[in-house]
Amino acid sequence: MRGEAILSIKPSMAVDLGGLVIKNPVMTAAGTFGFGEEYAPFVDLNKLGALIVKGLSWEARMGNPPPRIRETIGGMLNAIGLENPGVKAFIEKKLPFLKQFDVAVIANIFGETVDEYPRVAEALSRAGGVGALEVNISCPNVRKGGIAFGADPDSAAEVTRQVKRVTDLPVIVKLTPNVTDITVIAQSVEAAGADAVSLINTLTGMSIDTECRKPHLSNVTGGLSGPAIRPVALRMVWQTVKRVSIPVIGVGGIMNAEDALEFLIAGARAVQIGTASFINPQATLEVIKGIEEYLIRHGMADIRELIGSLIEPGSV
Amino acid sequence: MMKLEPSMLSGIVLRNLQVAPGHFLMDLRLPASFPAPLPGQFCMIRMTERLEPFLGRPLSIHSFRRRKDSATLRLLYRVAGKGTLLFSRQGKGAAFDILGPLGKPFRILPSCPTVILVAGGIGVAPLAFLASHYRRSNHGSGKAAIIIYAGAGDSTKLVGLKSFKDMDLRVSTDDGSLGFHGPVTSHFEQDLTSYDPVNSIIYACGPSAMIRRLSEILKGTGFACQVSMEERMACGVGACLGCATALRDGDGKVRYERVCREGPVFDIRDLSWE
Repeated sequence: MRGEAILSIKPSMAVDLGGLVIKNPVMTAAGTFGFGEEYAPFVDLNKLGALIVKGLSWEARMGNPPPRIRETIGGMLNAIGLENPGVKAFIEKKLPFLKQFDVAVIANIFGETVDEYPRVAEALSRAGGVGALEVNISCPNVRKGGIAFGADPDSAAEVTRQVKRVTDLPVIVKLTPNVTDITVIAQSVEAAGADAVSLINTLTGMSIDTECRKPHLSNVTGGLSGPAIRPVALRMVWQTVKRVSIPVIGVGGIMNAEDALEFLIAGARAVQIGTASFINPQATLEVIKGIEEYLIRHGMADIRELIGSLIEPGSV
Repeated sequence: MMKLEPSMLSGIVLRNLQVAPGHFLMDLRLPASFPAPLPGQFCMIRMTERLEPFLGRPLSIHSFRRRKDSATLRLLYRVAGKGTLLFSRQGKGAAFDILGPLGKPFRILPSCPTVILVAGGIGVAPLAFLASHYRRSNHGSGKAAIIIYAGAGDSTKLVGLKSFKDMDLRVSTDDGSLGFHGPVTSHFEQDLTSYDPVNSIIYACGPSAMIRRLSEILKGTGFACQVSMEERMACGVGACLGCATALRDGDGKVRYERVCREGPVFDIRDLSWE
């Protein structure tokens, strides 16, 4: 269709994330939107496709000492340390607020050991009001010397299996890019029963204060996020889409609708917006609006016409 | 006064003047709908449509005025790094995104007879806003005293003092080039016995070493003291948890609270020092 084609009806933006259908493909990334309250003055939460809350563990975690963040070119490093109130406190004190809104709530979960994951998953499944679970496997497995669960296909599969065993909720596994081949991990969690995968989590990086010759972060290393990582995230999404049949959710440096469209065209079923909200609290709403305007301008009645529509060299 | 919900609005520079080496005073014109801030609150300041520097910078509100069709936000800031350096180079007409007002303001005690402000360097910025607030309420009638201790490294680094005209202003410089010779905390400490904890309130803002020294001076004295802290921020609204600072309860147990949300104003007795 030429640029002149204008749709007279509102395009359908709903997408199915492996069992959870959300009204549009735009979600907030875990750890960047708290539990919704902080951004409620800026964003009508009812408009979001889904709200992924800060990662939850069984016990409350204090997080790392400051400094926890450092700006970089085109992004930032964070070493928050997975601070969270614990799953019970979330269910009692944070979930009621979120239930007021017409938005799918996705709980991001993690553990220090494999056993912790299903405990957290089960508590959330029983709580009601949670639409899906997103499993963070980028955190260190303390029983294996701190190697990330997601760095090893077998650990990643084991965590996935343990979570799937205890819940009927769709299970999205969030992959770490700090591996040799993310598609191997993706295939491994798919075989273990994951209903969808989201990628990428942050890229591990660091920064040094040259005047005092100390790392800027108390944790020394941190996760790099923001537009600087977007080309890596996009490439990994594109590669993963080719290797799995389950939905792939794209995340990593998406700042605006244009960026989001790249991921959808590459095959992402949905996108997450993270760091962008820090510098533009309305980023999520602008992305939703921009995707809708694109579909109208291109005469697409359904977002599924766009997803995976990348024209690759040599294709007919 | 009710604290209103923050918003992000466009601000246009009206003027941006150097007031001391490395220190600038910027006036930004905002829509009249910008919520009226309370002393102690801050804004996340970012240049519109620029991706470098990436994050907004948290700057204390120095003063605010609303007219019928616009509002003026005044910032007094020090060039501390890449972001503030960029701000200092902007002239009239430059566009900024202003997210605010943010944070817990200073707690005002309307019937407290003696209000003492202890300002180190650029710490004077939010305290000037607080002083004008107290002056406009009952303290302006002469019923109570507002005393300001303002200190800096040397006389060229003293800023924001015009805000305290007609008040009891006591100046100090580390090198003795103006006023009391020594740190602002020593100047205040010298007068400590002339104040009564029962009818005074202290507010402080300045470098971390100054606050630490002040907490040592006040320990066990019974003086109430509110401190405005700072920390590097990303979101400014409490979502990212990047600005956590350590507090300590009576049993010595440490907890983290967000400078942008539970702060920036904290009770000096709650602060934890490494």
